[in-house]
Amino acid sequence: MKSPECLAMILAGGQGSRLGALTKTVAKPAVPFGGKYRIIDFTLSNCIHSGIYTVGVLTQYQPLELNTYIGSGHPWDLNRNSGGVYVLPPYQSAEKGEWYKGTANAIYQNIEFVDKFNPKYVVILSGDHIYKMDYSKMIKFHKQKNADATIAVIEVPWEEASRFGIMTANEDGKIVEFAEKPAQPKSNLASMGVYVFTWEVLKKYLQNDEKNPESSNDFGKNIIPTMLEKGENMCAYAFEGYWKDVGTVQSLWEANMDILAQPPAFELNDNNWKIYSRNPVKPPHFVAGGAVIKNSCVTEGCSVYGTVNHSILFEGVTVEEGAVIEDSIIFPGTTVKKGATIKKTVVGEEAIIGEGAVIGDENTQSPQYESKYCTGGISLIGGGIEIPAGEKIGINSMVTADNGKEEN
Amino acid sequence: MRDMMGIIMADNKDLRLNELTDFRSVQALPFGGRYRLIDFILSNMVNSGMVNVGIATNINYSSLMDHVGSGAPWDLNRKIYGLFMLPPHVRGIGGNVSQDSIDQLYGVLTFLRRSRQEYVLLASGRTICNMTFDEALEKHIENDADITVIYHDKKEKDEQLSHGNVYEIDENGKVTGIEVQPRYPKTTLEGMGMFIIGRLKLIELIEDAYSRGSHDFVRDILISAVQNLKVSGYEYKGFVGIIDSVASYYENNMKLLEKEVRDEIFGAENRIYTKVKDQVPTQYKESSSVSDSLIADGCVIEGKVENSIIFRGVYIAKGATVKNCIVMQNTVIEEDCEIENIIIDKECTLRESKRLIGQPNYPVILPKRTLL
Repeated sequence: MKSPECLAMILAGGQGSRLGALTKTVAKPAVPFGGKYRIIDFTLSNCIHSGIYTVGVLTQYQPLELNTYIGSGHPWDLNRNSGGVYVLPPYQSAEKGEWYKGTANAIYQNIEFVDKFNPKYVVILSGDHIYKMDYSKMIKFHKQKNADATIAVIEVPWEEASRFGIMTANEDGKIVEFAEKPAQPKSNLASMGVYVFTWEVLKKYLQNDEKNPESSNDFGKNIIPTMLEKGENMCAYAFEGYWKDVGTVQSLWEANMDILAQPPAFELNDNNWKIYSRNPVKPPHFVAGGAVIKNSCVTEGCSVYGTVNHSILFEGVTVEEGAVIEDSIIFPGTTVKKGATIKKTVVGEEAIIGEGAVIGDENTQSPQYESKYCTGGISLIGGGIEIPAGEKIGINSMVTADNGKEEN
Repeated sequence: MRDMMGIIMADNKDLRLNELTDFRSVQALPFGGRYRLIDFILSNMVNSGMVNVGIATNINYSSLMDHVGSGAPWDLNRKIYGLFMLPPHVRGIGGNVSQDSIDQLYGVLTFLRRSRQEYVLLASGRTICNMTFDEALEKHIENDADITVIYHDKKEKDEQLSHGNVYEIDENGKVTGIEVQPRYPKTTLEGMGMFIIGRLKLIELIEDAYSRGSHDFVRDILISAVQNLKVSGYEYKGFVGIIDSVASYYENNMKLLEKEVRDEIFGAENRIYTKVKDQVPTQYKESSSVSDSLIADGCVIEGKVENSIIFRGVYIAKGATVKNCIVMQNTVIEEDCEIENIIIDKECTLRESKRLIGQPNYPVILPKRTLL
C-alpha cells in the first residue's frame, strides 16, 4: 500500500492533574469542552482538515473513556481502510514492557507502528490544546525549509513567556535557542507542542535518547535541545490565531468563556473548519415558558426552565424553574434543581445540584472545599456529585467524592 | 428479531402535504427540529434488532438517499445485510415510473428473494412513534396470522375525512373490515401503515397481484386478504402521529412541545437516530427571548421565539418575532420580521421587517429557498 506522506501522533496519555476532579476518572483529552466537544476533538478535527488520515493516539492515564470515545474514528471520518485512527497504549513485548516514561519515550515505543506506515514526516501533537490549525501548511513550510524539525510557535504576552518553552529564531525562521520555561525569556515565541519531524531523523534521536539513562525522554527537555545542539536544521513556524492550553481549571473556564465573547475570541461556528465530535443522539433542546437564556451556548437534549446567563450547557442538562446559572459551564447530563444558583463554576457530568443550593457564593466561607486547583474565583463540582438542597458553597471550592477523606 | 426484515415504502409527492413534498419524498420531510420522517421507522426497526432494511423509492428520492446515506447513523452500514435502496421497477421499455404500490413492491422482489428472514415488516415511514416490534411479531406468530396490521385507537372519531385506513376488528383481534380514507369512519382504529407478513407469503401476494394487473397494496391485496386469509390486528398503545396532511404535520410537530410526548419519543432508552450534521451548540445573544420552543443546534438567536420548532442552523435576528412556527434548516429571518403560524421550509430568507401571519389551524407554507 502507498505510504502516507505524513502521519500524526497525538500525545494523549497525560493525567492533567491540575484539572482536579475533572480528570479523576478520565484523561485530559477526554474532558468536555465548548458545549459538545471533548478537548481531543480539536486535534483530531485539525488532522482530518489537514489531510492527515493516519493518526496514532497514545494513551496511558485512565484511557477507557478516551478509547470508547475514539472508537472506530468515524465521527472524524478516520474509520478508513487505508490509514485511520489507532489507539496506542503501552504494551508488553518479549523483552520488556513498561509505561510511557515521557513524551519521547511514548513515540519511541511505537517506532514499529510508524515504520509500518513508512511516512516521510511525522507530526507530533498534544491532545490537550484548543485551536484550529492547518498542519498541511506547516508541513509545506517544513519541506520548503528542508528542515529536520519544525516547531510551531505562537506569540505570547512577555509576562507569561516564562510559563512556556521559548524559542529564539533568526530572520530565516531558523531556531537558534530553545529554553524550557526560562526565568528570563529572550523571546516571546512559545512552543505550541506541535512538531513536524522528518521521520528518519527523529527516529535516530529517539533511539539515542532511549540509550541515555539520564534523559527524562521528553521532547521539550531532551529531544529538541539535543537536536539543536547537534546542529540539525530546526525551524520555527509562526502560527497566528487562537491557541490555548487548557491545563488548569481556570484556563479551561477562560477558554470556554472565549467562545461566548462578543465577537467570539474563538469562533466555533465555522463551516469551513467544523470541529467533529461523537454525537450523543439527543433531540433539540427545549426552552420552557419563563426561561431566560442570554449570551450562552445550549445544545441538544437540554431542558431549560430557569435562567442561563453567560454560560455553556452541554447535552442533556436540565435547568429547573427558578434556577440561575451565571458564568458557568455545566457538563453533560447534570440536573440543576429548582431555585439553585450556580456562579462561575464548572460542574462535572451527571451531577445533581439540589433545590435552592448556591454554588460559588461570595458570602460563604467553605474552607473544607478549598483547593489549590481552584483559583480566580472559579469553583468546581466533580462529576456524579449530589449537592444537597439548600447547601451553600463558596468561591474557589472543589467538591469531589473525596472531600474530607484525603488532601486535594 | 433478526428473523424479521424491513421494507419502507417511500412515497413520492403527497398532494395533501402541498409544497412540502414538491422536491422530496414524504419520508424525507424534516420533522421535530433535526429529524426526517424516515428516522422514526428506521430507528424503530433497528431498535427492534432488525438488521436488513430496504427502502423502496418512487421518484424524487435524492434528498431521501442523501439523508440515509450508507445507513451509518442507524448502524445499518453493514457487511451482512444492512441498508438497501430499492429504486422503482418500470414496466416495459421507456415506460414511466408508476405511482402504484404494487409496481413498487414488484421492484423489491429480488431483495425479498435474496433475504433469509422469515418475516417482513412492511412500513409506510410516515408514522411518528418510538416502538419496537417484538411483541407484534410474537402476536403474529401466536395468532398464526397471514398478515398482522399494526394500528392504534384514536379514541375520537375524525371530524374531518380520514386519510388513512380504518379497521374493524372483532374481539379475537381478527380484522373483519377495512375502510380506505372513509368519509364517515366506522371505528376509531387507525392503521399505522405497518404490516407484518411472512416473507414467502409477501412474495406470493405480490406476484399474484402483479400478474392480475393490480395497483394498490391496501385496496388490492389487503382488502381481499380480509376475506381469503387470516388478517390480525395488533394495537399499539403509545403515542402515534401520522403525517398525512399539512394539518397533521403541523399538529404533530407542535405536540413535541408537550413534555409527555417529548419524553416518550426522545427520552426512552431506545433512541431516535438521524444524520449527524456536526453543528455547533446554539448561541443565544443578549437580546434573545425564547419560550415553549424546541431548538436544534447551530442556530443563532437574537430575537423572540415563542411556541415554535426551530431546525438546525437557523438565524433569527434582533427584533424579529417568531410565533407558532416551524422553521426548517438554514433559514434566515432578519431584523424586525413578524412571523406567526407559518411553516418555513429549508433555506428561506426573510428580509427585514417582513410580516407574515397564517391562521392557527391552517398554517401557510413558505416553500424551500423562498426569498421574501
